[in-house]
Amino acid sequence: MNASSLRRIGQMLLIPILAVFTALVVGALVMWIFGDDPLAAYRGLINGAFGSARAWSTTIRKMTPLILTGLSVAVAFKAGLFNIGASGQFIIGTVCSVAVGINFPGLPAFIHLPLALLAGIAGGVLWGFIPGALKVFTGAHEVIVTIMLNYVASLFAGWTVYAGGTQGQTPGPLWDTAAGPISRTPEVFESARIPWIFGDPYRIHWGVALALLVALLMWWIIFKTTLGFATRTVGANNKAARYAGINVKWITILTMMIAGGLAGLAGAIETLGLNHRFAPEFTGGVGFDGITVALLGQTNPLGVVLSAFLLGALDAGGARMQFDSGVAADIIQVIQALVLAFVAAPMIIRQLYRLRKPSDQVEATVFSSGWGR
Amino acid sequence: MKEKRFAIVVSLLLVFTLLLSACTATVPAAPAPQTGGGEAAPAPAANIKIGLVTDVGRVNDRSFNQSAWEGVKQAGTALGLTEGDGFKYIETQDSKDYADNIQQFVDAGFNVIVTVGFALGEATTKAAKENPDTYFIGIDQFQGEALPNLTGLVFHEDQSGFLAGALAAQLSKTGTIAAVLGTDLVPPVVAFGTGYELGAKYINPDITVLTTYHPGEISQAFVDPEWGAATAKQALDQKADVIFGAGGSTGNGALQEVAAAPGAGTDVFCIGVDTDQWETLPAAHPCLVSSAMKLITPSVIDLINNYAASGTMTSGNYFGGAGLAPFHDFEDKIPQEVKDKLDEIAAGLADGSLTTGYQP
Repeated sequence: MNASSLRRIGQMLLIPILAVFTALVVGALVMWIFGDDPLAAYRGLINGAFGSARAWSTTIRKMTPLILTGLSVAVAFKAGLFNIGASGQFIIGTVCSVAVGINFPGLPAFIHLPLALLAGIAGGVLWGFIPGALKVFTGAHEVIVTIMLNYVASLFAGWTVYAGGTQGQTPGPLWDTAAGPISRTPEVFESARIPWIFGDPYRIHWGVALALLVALLMWWIIFKTTLGFATRTVGANNKAARYAGINVKWITILTMMIAGGLAGLAGAIETLGLNHRFAPEFTGGVGFDGITVALLGQTNPLGVVLSAFLLGALDAGGARMQFDSGVAADIIQVIQALVLAFVAAPMIIRQLYRLRKPSDQVEATVFSSGWGR
Repeated sequence: MKEKRFAIVVSLLLVFTLLLSACTATVPAAPAPQTGGGEAAPAPAANIKIGLVTDVGRVNDRSFNQSAWEGVKQAGTALGLTEGDGFKYIETQDSKDYADNIQQFVDAGFNVIVTVGFALGEATTKAAKENPDTYFIGIDQFQGEALPNLTGLVFHEDQSGFLAGALAAQLSKTGTIAAVLGTDLVPPVVAFGTGYELGAKYINPDITVLTTYHPGEISQAFVDPEWGAATAKQALDQKADVIFGAGGSTGNGALQEVAAAPGAGTDVFCIGVDTDQWETLPAAHPCLVSSAMKLITPSVIDLINNYAASGTMTSGNYFGGAGLAPFHDFEDKIPQEVKDKLDEIAAGLADGSLTTGYQP
């Protein structure tokens, strides 16, 4: 590795690191204004995220879906698409994997589990295909369509597990008949569950390894294959890409399908590894957090892993922080929001720390392309 | 550039709303000394430490969480404990964190843990099985099978709904009353609603009761004041003149709509739910004749005191009090015979000579 590539890595890391640092400082300021003790809060946060084996396990557990939803948003950014739909794709992935997981008793695990995972991916792929195709064929902007599809996904998911109520409504097809008035699915069969690496009380499953592998795979696809090159070219300048003979329509649809599949896989892993069932209160919040993860990771798959780890740690430490210092855990959301603001608007950070503009802006991160192309 | 700007605007909007919601809601809790996980200084009363885990939402939500926390606070203070050391709470951010939050208290050596709400039932049962020496109180968690160290604090919502219905039927001049309710997915809400209908029919078998449940999921059903207001408006249009709003801020929306309607307090009335909403929802004063209450605070205090005094953990279900709140400003406007009738019904329900007829 030569000096210039080292410098480039340094430059890539600079803004995210400063953004996180600034967010923590502003977060401390907010706590101080509200009369709380920021030092005690951050001590609790670190304890809760890394202070014990159980804390580490919580961090890793929270990180796993964030890696995949972060990748989902990041991959779309590479093609100049803003996938706000990771949340809906996550939910659809969850529902599809559960539908397979609670059916087919007696299948051996080596068929049942992959089948359930694939069902989750397929659901996500479909939920990504719709906005991709609508964009290409009708010009409908993917931001609007994905936001709308989030509602469709969560209401559809709610319907599948609806308990029926007292007015004689028909219960949903996935509802657990043994749950009485509670809307939820039964637990998936043992053969469809992702095995534990460490069982109770740590509850870490092999899904985390799968997520890391997928991140490596996405890095390879984006930076080492023709497809990845085509995607990045479309993202950087789609007119030039078309001129260069790249099938922009196909790349747009394909990227949205991959993005959807990643978020769908996140839902499948979270369900088959951890929750073992779906209930309407399991929302696709990690889908929205994926936006922060992707931006903080500079839309680089390896950066996404790092930022998912950081956000996972923030989530994991929140309860302990609240417990030790009495600071409301909402401050975590404030910090995450500030991180998002600072990475999305790097000018603030540049002004704040008097940084010069990077000399070579060849690979400037492309976030999203415009309306009605 | 245009493209980038769009992304930034979207992100900033997101950030701004997050910031707003977080800032306005931050609870100025006193910073507590670090407990460090081990046994702290010997507490005066038999080393009792009380922890409370809220359902998703705030500890000062003027409803469930707050009533339970009031109970913990009063019981703890009476036992000579201090907040932060002897009793404290964790606000749950995400329904997946229930178990983790309960575990925080277990790890820190808290021996009484109160969990608030139907949704925490499963996590509470699991924690109770794993920690047989810790006493758990699960509010609104009906216990199918009794555990020795877990009390399900439940209420006869149908009875307090029945009283509300009886009151409504006696106040109604149009012969139509209404109930705007949170989701029928939560059994206590159905008990309130059905009790209300039965109570109204007990007074006047020909009365029309317009009962509407929120059509959405649990996550939306209690936080949708717009729907509550719109549904109340519809009921008023259909000549309903007493409206029972039961379902968190969804029900509050209904109450506020009635309070703003013409004739509020003279021709149209409203009835609140869970706590005495005269205290918690001043905006409803113009129409609020009473509330169908579940007495969470005194029940929590009773259970904790029981444990503190004798070390007994109440097993199975414990039925807390339920009944109507005071009439407040409507005290003089409600005819004496209505009050007498309500007293008669309450007495009948209490001694078992009268049943609501509600089948769970």
